[in-house]
Amino acid sequence: MMKKLLFLLLGIMMIFWLAACGNGDDDTSSEPAGGDSDSSDSNDSEPAADDGEEMTLRIAWWGDQTRNDYTNEVIQMYMDQNPNVKIEAEYAGWDDYWQRLAPQAAANELPDIIQMDLSYITQYADNNQLADLTPFIGNQIDVTNIADTIVSGGQVGDGIYGFNLGVNAVGFNYNPALLEEIGVDSLPENWTWDDYMELADKTAAAGYYFDTGMQSDVFFNYYLRTHGQRLYAEDGSGLGYDDDQLFVDFFSMLQELVEKGATPTPDYLAQLAGPEDDPVVKQEGIGIWQWSNQFVGLQQVAGLPFDIHPMPGPNADDGLFLKPSMFFSITENSQHKEAAAQFIDFFVNDVEANKLILGDRGVPGSSVVKDALTSEISEAQALVFEYIEWAEQNSTPMGAPDPAGAGQIIELLDGLAEQMNYGQISPEDAAQNFRNQAQSILSQN
Amino acid sequence: MNTRLRENLWGYFFIGPFVIGFLAFTIIPMIASLYFSFTQYNLFSPPSWIGFDNFVKMFTDDPRYLQSLKVTFIYVFGGVPLRLAFALLIAMVLNAASRAVGLYRTLYYLPSLIGGSVAVAIMWRNIFGDSGIVNLLLEFFGLDAIRWFGDPTAALWMLIFLSVWQFGSSMLIFLAGLKSIPVSYYEAASVDGAHFFQKFRSITLPLLSPVILFNLIMQTIAAFMTFVPAFIISKGTGGPLDGTLLYSLYLFKQGFEFFNMGYASAMAWVMLVIIGILTAVIFITSRFWVHYESEGGK
Amino acid sequence: MRSFQPKWIIYHVLVGGFVLLLLYPVVWLLMSSFKVSEQIFLTADHLIPDPFILENYVQGWKGFGGYSFGVFIKNTAVFVFITLIGHLISSALIAFGFARLKFAGRGFWFAVMIVTLMLPYEVVMIPQYIIFSQLGWLNSLKPLVVPAYFGHPFFIFLLVQFIRTIPRELDEAATIDGCNTFQIFYRIILPLITPALATAAIFSFYWTWDNLLGPVLYLNSPSKYTVSMALNMFLSNETVSNWGAMFAMSIVSLIPVFVVFFIFQRYVVEGIATSGLKS
Repeated sequence: MMKKLLFLLLGIMMIFWLAACGNGDDDTSSEPAGGDSDSSDSNDSEPAADDGEEMTLRIAWWGDQTRNDYTNEVIQMYMDQNPNVKIEAEYAGWDDYWQRLAPQAAANELPDIIQMDLSYITQYADNNQLADLTPFIGNQIDVTNIADTIVSGGQVGDGIYGFNLGVNAVGFNYNPALLEEIGVDSLPENWTWDDYMELADKTAAAGYYFDTGMQSDVFFNYYLRTHGQRLYAEDGSGLGYDDDQLFVDFFSMLQELVEKGATPTPDYLAQLAGPEDDPVVKQEGIGIWQWSNQFVGLQQVAGLPFDIHPMPGPNADDGLFLKPSMFFSITENSQHKEAAAQFIDFFVNDVEANKLILGDRGVPGSSVVKDALTSEISEAQALVFEYIEWAEQNSTPMGAPDPAGAGQIIELLDGLAEQMNYGQISPEDAAQNFRNQAQSILSQN
Repeated sequence: MNTRLRENLWGYFFIGPFVIGFLAFTIIPMIASLYFSFTQYNLFSPPSWIGFDNFVKMFTDDPRYLQSLKVTFIYVFGGVPLRLAFALLIAMVLNAASRAVGLYRTLYYLPSLIGGSVAVAIMWRNIFGDSGIVNLLLEFFGLDAIRWFGDPTAALWMLIFLSVWQFGSSMLIFLAGLKSIPVSYYEAASVDGAHFFQKFRSITLPLLSPVILFNLIMQTIAAFMTFVPAFIISKGTGGPLDGTLLYSLYLFKQGFEFFNMGYASAMAWVMLVIIGILTAVIFITSRFWVHYESEGGK
Repeated sequence: MRSFQPKWIIYHVLVGGFVLLLLYPVVWLLMSSFKVSEQIFLTADHLIPDPFILENYVQGWKGFGGYSFGVFIKNTAVFVFITLIGHLISSALIAFGFARLKFAGRGFWFAVMIVTLMLPYEVVMIPQYIIFSQLGWLNSLKPLVVPAYFGHPFFIFLLVQFIRTIPRELDEAATIDGCNTFQIFYRIILPLITPALATAAIFSFYWTWDNLLGPVLYLNSPSKYTVSMALNMFLSNETVSNWGAMFAMSIVSLIPVFVVFFIFQRYVVEGIATSGLKS
């Protein structure tokens, strides 16, 4: 404040000095526009002095209005119970969040706890930005009610670099009423790709879309898993499948669906503005292939009762896995790793806290929390919980998370899928192309 | 004190802030990015030197890079002249009247005030959507509706239209320039019987030329570096089929989505050379068409 | 009266009509902010909201985690004001130096200035961030506003071009009157470039108001967030975005920019420059 006043004063003096021509000669006094423009704040980003118990933790996440509000309430609850800990929240939208995290990592200024996504965790863990949580698990972080498969969701190499906050699984989210309209009472219990194609034919003949296509990286990986393979090699050094015929089969099938009119054309899909004018929402399509955490939103937008159906087989169990929806990671430069771990424990195990969270970060891992929530959640959410519970029994472990460079691979695959849908490249050529480029990206790992 | 020294002192007194700011905040990051362009650097681990590999890869082994270069050239050479012509036209129309023009100026500037938020992207998607006003107009005139977001060429032109629609900043600079042309010049010409186009050619264009030069250079540089519209309208993909993959968008992807900051830095320096050459060409030719009052009429 | 002449009626019909066409998207945005969020896309081709609701404004104004949208507007206003002052003072000084003074290295520094415009911010961002973190400036406005006091190349170049249109005889006359170089700048040149300064003020205001990347990088605490960051938080990449609230707050955040523009645009065209000094 003082500096600003001084600056103003200086300015006024200068104006008086300039009042008339013809007096003084050259007088090169001080720099007029030097660095005297202090901002209002002198707050430092460094945590406050760390004597004894008192400490400040910084925590960052991405999210929308709802998530920001309830997370702040959870933090307040924790601070009330632990008066020695002060928690500073730093939240932003998805794009802004990652944009900020990268320079913070480069400057060793990361917050103590950061929300992590499966697609970035390897990148950050491999470059020593994240702390291994193994020493805290079973100590600060109580895992008695959390299945091992859920805890190991954050495993990169030999360590656990993010604590799983909840899980998702892929499935077919559909509108049962519309299905009936085309003369199908229900989807077959253990359906296969052949059943799927048959239904798609039927729907197209009735003048509807069956679905809106499959996001290439997610569902190609599922398809590969049903054949006992996966998209990335376990060690992340290359692709995880050898037979390009699988690529050709899968993407030919998608192409055929577009040709039949069971899936919209790519230019139609590109034209959509958002989930609100999705054909499924407008009741022009039966369903969407997507992650279970998107189900509640779909139902909310459509205002119709939807249902979740498992993926087509054969070997659907091998294909399906529980995906960690997001993690809390503790950063390597944190001065208070144990305290951070205690907060994570509170976040995943405390029943009252989870009554605020209400499964927004994925279906909770703790069985106690899950049971306590059954009476709290909405009908749509209950369906998601139910589906995840079913999936726990009918899936296989996820395996290693996406390797570093996965972002580039996903774009490459999406780009090729787009070209195939536009008919600019044949699945055979795309398969070859994908293998060459993906290997060269992954060989850097 | 001799005159030479005094002149230098005065010169650096005035431009001093720039020199200090440049040395304090800009030069080190610039040198760092130049160094990164010869390395493999993922933001988190120290960079490792790989010589000219990034530059070689760009032109021999990266079709998406060449695509982004092509798209950007179309965007710049299609968009900038359109935008400037439009801005000059509106500025002259608004300059012709004195009443109610304050309101018009503000209204015409309004599209530019909305800027680059996500709201603009949503709005543009709807305007150019299947049942949006643009397609309704096309159909009204008996033309076929266009899937603007589904066709790579149409999508790029939609981006160009967005930049033309937000012509306000150039318009404002033109207006300020037009206002500084003394009215007496036009009056004298009218007495001589000159009609509109003669006045435009012999008074407006030459006297406005410094401002036109400014707009031309700044808009060209800005167009090359356009990022936000491409990012928000294609939802960050640059699609369809990389049709709107502007240079800066691809650079951003390489740097912050693929964590190839070395490659992104190399891309940045290549772009700097390209823009630099273009700007130099404009500056050199400006000697023949820009007229500075302070240097006596040429 | 002049405005009733047929020529002016045609003028107003054409100019007014065309502006309506150009403003259609803006009107669409405004109208959508009164629609129920879920309906915005379904009723995209109907302009009139049905039902007409104010709920989006109420919801949006609530903000996040206890910070209402008013906080974000106030933060942005402070940020914009400090930046604007810096841009104007420094850029005018520097521009005068480049446009009017002869000194060793003028061409070199001018070229340097233009070159700094050509390097994408993305690649200098990380090193710059590290410099500011070494200075202990993170999570404050300092990295965002201090550089404004060292000139902005766009404004410098803009002002240079305008100063160069002012006849040199004016300077010479002032020198004979005994003005030193600084007085020439302050008493002769500065009043004459009012339109350009007003233009720069408008741009500076608007660009800073709209700046997203800077605040995202340097402001960590939500209590310091700016409008552009807050708008992005209505979006969700997992569930449903609150379009209605985002549109409503986009409109709200447009009002200050609109008002400032309306005030300043007068000076762009009614500066002293037109009062006949030049003839």
